[in-house]
Amino acid sequence: MLEACVFATILCGFFGIIFKKNLVMKIISMDVMSTGVIAYYVLIASRDGLFTPILSNANRGNYADPVPQAVILTAIVIGFSIQALMLVGVMKLARDNPTLETSEIEQNNTP
Amino acid sequence: MSTLTIIWIALPFFVGFISYLLPRFDRIFSLGVAIASTGYALWLYTQPPLKLQLLDNFGVTLLLDPLSGFFILTNGLVTAAVILYCWNSGKTAFFYMQTIILNGSVNAAFACTDFISLYVALEVISIAAFLLIAYPRTDRAIWVSLRYLFTSNVAMLFYLVGAVLVYKASHSFAFAGLRESPPEALALIFLGLLVKGGIFVSGLWLPLTHSESETPVSAMLSGAVVKAGVLPLVRCALLVPEVDPLIRGLGVGTALLGVGYAVFEKDTKRMLAFHTVSQLGFILAAPEVGGFYALTHGLVKSALFLIAGVLPSRNLKELQHQPIHTPIWIALVIASFSISGFPLLSGFGAKVLTMKSLLPWQVIGMNTAALGTAISFAKLIFLPHQKQEKQGKIQPGFWAAIALLIGGLFLANIAYYEAYSFENIIKPLATIALGWLAYFLIFRQTTVKLPRLLEQFDHLIGVMSLMLILLFWMVLA
Repeated sequence: MLEACVFATILCGFFGIIFKKNLVMKIISMDVMSTGVIAYYVLIASRDGLFTPILSNANRGNYADPVPQAVILTAIVIGFSIQALMLVGVMKLARDNPTLETSEIEQNNTP
Repeated sequence: MSTLTIIWIALPFFVGFISYLLPRFDRIFSLGVAIASTGYALWLYTQPPLKLQLLDNFGVTLLLDPLSGFFILTNGLVTAAVILYCWNSGKTAFFYMQTIILNGSVNAAFACTDFISLYVALEVISIAAFLLIAYPRTDRAIWVSLRYLFTSNVAMLFYLVGAVLVYKASHSFAFAGLRESPPEALALIFLGLLVKGGIFVSGLWLPLTHSESETPVSAMLSGAVVKAGVLPLVRCALLVPEVDPLIRGLGVGTALLGVGYAVFEKDTKRMLAFHTVSQLGFILAAPEVGGFYALTHGLVKSALFLIAGVLPSRNLKELQHQPIHTPIWIALVIASFSISGFPLLSGFGAKVLTMKSLLPWQVIGMNTAALGTAISFAKLIFLPHQKQEKQGKIQPGFWAAIALLIGGLFLANIAYYEAYSFENIIKPLATIALGWLAYFLIFRQTTVKLPRLLEQFDHLIGVMSLMLILLFWMVLA
């Protein structure tokens, strides 16, 4: 069930990228999609247990797998910095293309 | 040896940031790193393959063998040539810093053998390439780079889902885990790599990006950066025999698609970009010998892009009425001969080697692609030329860069001297003759203009979903 929700999020984001006309909306859709991917990593990490894997004496049950979580942390940071870069690019483009519609920008800027 | 490898991986990033702090030495620093990386690649050939596992069980794994040596060598030489080309062009420290970081991240992508290190390397490549393409700060440059970053980032999201599926199946992110993973993991990961490497229809972002960038940036992108997506595919094909036919098939498809667009193209830089697509197909068509082909292609394509930057016009129709300076024309002809597979240049050895390793069902497709290459480079070879008294504006570093790249082509040719047998020499000559004949009879007059519909931004993203379905179906079959 959760897995289906996660995939629905990824697909929603992907279709948003295709069907939204505005560049900012496309970037937000991409963010939705990457949220879905991150959630999927967390879901996979919690296959065997839910507890945070911290070394201690008390036995609290099954631990979550730390590897996917550690990996997705890197991906979150990268995704965040790419988004920041894109938004700066959009700001620059917005001066000459105030509507920020991709079809318009593309028409103005392809030879 | 492992210490040296770690220093080699870290050096470009370290020096990149240092050179931003000491902008006076930016060029020397970045050239030094490129030369060091080239030296390291040459040294790799004298060593047995090195496998490194850093940071415990789930950490970074690196593999350095002669195959990655070819790719690293390409990257080092192309970077050195680009820096020489830019030597007196007044580029800021920022440009050199990004160049050297791009060089470092491409090297990292060549060395690693697990999906997460590869992901990080590919994303750093995206960011550095974005900044380099957007360097002129014009609206067009920003749009082209934004389009590049967006496309590759969406592809990498699919790739990430594939990577976690591999982890789920085999409890490791290593390439070898692909064998036990479900077909959807394979399809998702390959989608990411195909888009990143500019292969088949998912690589149609490449022509616009490479042709609209500045000259040195397109040389760097076409010569080295796209190969960061190709080497992992080659490695997967060698590691997991089940995917080998899939990769070979995609190679043939890519070679034909790129050539098909290129023969009708009337713009020099776009033609070269389409040829990058087609040559990547040659690398994938015979994965076990792809390294040598990648080296040859990297050298020749960056030389061609640098030369195209100093031609008086980009339009081939205009160039036919505007004679080019003879020395430039000679360099252009040498490079075009190499890529068409003419003996004495390393393009010949690479083509012979690739053609020898093809499977029977690939032969027709690849020979057609080779013929197409000869046809479209006839367009450049038969341009008018004359000795000009008044030199146009040529970058001072231009000749140094060209000498490095074309010298590399001659030297790499010696490395594989076994290719010189009678029938091996006859075949490429016949292909080239046939290509030139076809050019004069048919293609010189044609004015067909292929539609650019598939290169539109929305279609690039849409094609990804189609490609995913195609890959899934191919993996299942």
